[in-house]
Amino acid sequence: MTTTAAMAGERKPRSRTATRLADAVSRWAFMAPAAIILAAMLAYPIFYTIEISFSRFDLMTFSAVEWVGWQNYAHVLDDYRFWSSMKVTLVYLVFALPLQIVLGFGIAFLINAEWRGRGLVRALFIIPMVVAPVVAGGIWRMILDPLWGIVNWLIGLAGFAPLDWFGDPTLAMAAIVIIDTWRWTPFVVLIATAALLALPRDIFEAAEIDGANWWSMLWSITLPLLVPIIAATFVVRWLGAVKMFDIALAATYGGPGGATNVINLFIYEEAFRSLHFAESAAMAVVVLVLTMVLTGIFLYGTRKLEERN
Amino acid sequence: MSATAVLQAPLRRKSRLGGRVRIAAGLVACLIFLFPVFWMVLSSFKDQRDIFTVPPTLFFTPTLETYFGFMQRADITRRLINTIIVATGSGLLSIAAGAMAGYALARIRLKGAGTIGVLILLSRGVPPIALAVPMFLVARSLGVTDKHITLILAYCTFLIPYVMWLMRGFFLALPRELEESAMIDGCSRFGAFFKIILPISLPGLLSTLIFSMILAWEELLFALVLTNRYASTIPVAIAGIAGDTVNGANWGALTAVGTITVVPVVIFALLVQKWLIQGLADGATKG
Amino acid sequence: MMKFDAAAVSRRALIVAAAAVALSGASAYAQDGLGTPDKPVEVRMIANEAFANQWQTLMVPEFNKKYPNIKVTIDGVPYVELLAKSMLDATGPSPTYDIIIADDPWVPQLATVGALLDLKSPEVAGWTEAGYDWDDFNAAPLAAGEWDGKQYGVPLRSNMLMMFVNKSLYEQAGLPAPTSALTWDQYLEQAPKLVRDTNGDGKADVWAIDTYFVREPLTPTIWQTIMNSNGGQLLDDKGQPAFNGEAGVKALEIHKKLLEYAPTGAVSHGFSESLQAFRQGLVATMFNWGSVYKGSAIDAKTTTLKPEQVSVQVLPVGSTGPGAHRGIWNGAVSAKSEHKQAAWTVIQWLSSKEGEAWHSANLGVFPARKSTLASTPSEAWLKPVFAALQEAYDASEKGKMWRIRSPKSDAAQQVLADEISRALAGQVAPAEALNIAAEKVGKVLN
Repeated sequence: MTTTAAMAGERKPRSRTATRLADAVSRWAFMAPAAIILAAMLAYPIFYTIEISFSRFDLMTFSAVEWVGWQNYAHVLDDYRFWSSMKVTLVYLVFALPLQIVLGFGIAFLINAEWRGRGLVRALFIIPMVVAPVVAGGIWRMILDPLWGIVNWLIGLAGFAPLDWFGDPTLAMAAIVIIDTWRWTPFVVLIATAALLALPRDIFEAAEIDGANWWSMLWSITLPLLVPIIAATFVVRWLGAVKMFDIALAATYGGPGGATNVINLFIYEEAFRSLHFAESAAMAVVVLVLTMVLTGIFLYGTRKLEERN
Repeated sequence: MSATAVLQAPLRRKSRLGGRVRIAAGLVACLIFLFPVFWMVLSSFKDQRDIFTVPPTLFFTPTLETYFGFMQRADITRRLINTIIVATGSGLLSIAAGAMAGYALARIRLKGAGTIGVLILLSRGVPPIALAVPMFLVARSLGVTDKHITLILAYCTFLIPYVMWLMRGFFLALPRELEESAMIDGCSRFGAFFKIILPISLPGLLSTLIFSMILAWEELLFALVLTNRYASTIPVAIAGIAGDTVNGANWGALTAVGTITVVPVVIFALLVQKWLIQGLADGATKG
Repeated sequence: MMKFDAAAVSRRALIVAAAAVALSGASAYAQDGLGTPDKPVEVRMIANEAFANQWQTLMVPEFNKKYPNIKVTIDGVPYVELLAKSMLDATGPSPTYDIIIADDPWVPQLATVGALLDLKSPEVAGWTEAGYDWDDFNAAPLAAGEWDGKQYGVPLRSNMLMMFVNKSLYEQAGLPAPTSALTWDQYLEQAPKLVRDTNGDGKADVWAIDTYFVREPLTPTIWQTIMNSNGGQLLDDKGQPAFNGEAGVKALEIHKKLLEYAPTGAVSHGFSESLQAFRQGLVATMFNWGSVYKGSAIDAKTTTLKPEQVSVQVLPVGSTGPGAHRGIWNGAVSAKSEHKQAAWTVIQWLSSKEGEAWHSANLGVFPARKSTLASTPSEAWLKPVFAALQEAYDASEKGKMWRIRSPKSDAAQQVLADEISRALAGQVAPAEALNIAAEKVGKVLN
């Protein structure tokens, strides 16, 4: 509709207000579908979550029955499991995210070399993402298991004692980071190869004529051009990683003890196992606020980086 | 392609060795990442008895039984079809809505759009567990539980923000002169977007589409809560096999279904790659 | 079987005929309730994905031989999400599901939100066949479907936590095969001898035990069973946590000590991992659910063990008796169902003497009825299993060996899972873990 309006606008002369209106409509038409779908789908669920987080929850109707103020929040903040989950999540994020971004762009650079098998390699590289989390977690358990795992068998051949990957808190966290990196580095590779493909050729040709070496081209041309997409990949990965719980559930059950009990696993268990929907909602709101603040900081950083170029 | 071609050019001048080392390193990385997948496929041809041997074995009597046993289940074909419908539907819908929003954020000067864009992105901060139950309650009161469209729209809530933000990144990397010259040539804003911007962003667009479809392909939580039977997807069945409380997880079946679900996506990605390279080559000759 | 069938059919025919003569209106209602060839009744069931498919393809056709006009559709949901999903559905104004299959501790939770129908109410009694023998059920499994004095569920698939024994490993270690008289003292004394190096490389490669140690809701059942068989209880008479007393702490210490005799990495083992270790012949004993017997001893595709190598029995004897833990899948009817009679007919048939006999003979499901357990099973290997199962029922009945009966049961179990696993992983001392758990469980239950 807006398209025809815009095209019609070119043919016959109109008043300035009409033109401006049509222009505004055509601008907003880009934003509208996404905004409408999300508002329609998310407005009530978010309102509901906030509402029940301040209420006593009634399982008979699955709704809030009585306003209890900050009680659910107090309850949650008083639980040491919440804090230990937050700590666990932080450790996981600090190790997993940078690792995935660096590995992802590095591998993308490697496999983008011009040779015949490139398309195949790129297609194969997405497989880890496609394997269902519960299967992925299970396969990694098979591979890393101290009894029947091939990794420990190889370590044993080399003469070392097997590592108890899922029994030792530090190694269990390492295992979660490894599995998550295995699963999501391919996403970074996928986006990064596309970004490398889309780089404008002429700039490089010009630089080459100027006699720049590949390192200085990488540093002063490629990387700056990639900043928006690296930042976007980071933000998307960060928002996905914050919500990770399926891998922890499948590989370590959050254990040993609570060593890999990431916050979303805790929220999930509170809601779906303990049926504590109000407390779960309170935690969800806390996580939402924290995520918003941190995402805001990342976006601010992104803008600074983008503006610098 | 272009960047790597150029990045490689000085190397080529000095020696071809650098390029070879680079390809070899890429292959090694690929093999490391594919090893668990190899193990999955290998295990899918083993009897349960042979999967957990000490030490792990490469030699066993292969069996196709896990595949047959799995495919014989009455619900599997239905679930596969549902998964394809939902992944395709939500992938396409979110790429359409998300790419336009991403373009609005990257290139169109629009008061308030930035705020909306950030809000859309921040909506990803809500843990999905908190969204699933109220979404179910809404769907139930509207009488649309267990329908494909419900799941497709639910998936759009997490796909659109991702698509929007990734595509914003891709659009920002494009030179501004492109659509400016197009619009001077008399293209409308839509015309410039669809005829000039989208074709040139094809690599990013397709990669984002693949990513979106994969996320929808393997999503479990919304599928569990929002569907019962008629729109129920493969991941729900996988979770069921993994959580078998009667006989223990059947890893033969799990690795088989893992393999089965991977194949269509890889074929799809291969086709897209081929088409993409082809498209780029065409674009290069035109441009 | 044939005789059984004929008797039941003729009895039904008699009832229908009598009703038709007595009151034409009532008979019409009964006919609608169970469907007619022209207008079959459709009932939908929500069940654990682990057996939903098997029931749909094997059980439903068998049921339809007797009740051809009731169409049963079964939707499987993965175990961990089944309770929440059932709750969400059953609390709606017009639930999708007429039949809810609920695990042992769920009946109080579902009953409290008004989701379930009282199966002994006069209304349901009118739909119950005269020959349906409530007293024939073992007390322990029937009690799983009871809450607040009402019978909301009937046992459809019974299960018990039992001890599996690899007799070959006992023999190789020069130890006598355990019997149900084996005490905890004897068991713990033998355990070190069962950890052996069989290939002479200086490292142990077979172990004494594998079971639940991981952070998950069923891990506390091991600890609880040890505690129960030594006279400890989860809650006192007033319903307050009592498990942090001496018996509880000692039981947790034993549970933790088992790790010393368990394979490397056992602290992250649960249901599936311990099964794999046992089926590979790596451990001499395993505490696990009785239903895994077939896959561990009989089915050559899943196990490396031979039937004669494996035996199953109650857990070792403590100061008050042997141990077991109850895990019953209950069939329940949704209180808001529009097809209550047909729904009850399905689970009534499956839990009747006839249905249960078919179920156990053809699908190997454990029965709850004394008469089925006492009968000669269809497969020879089931005979010792049935005997052990009967002992387990008696033990669990005597020692109240089941999870907390409360509308908050799963929440309390999750707290226990967290604290027990922290203690097992050595992150806190057993006594401290149990004190924290007691405080949290106390809060949850009140």
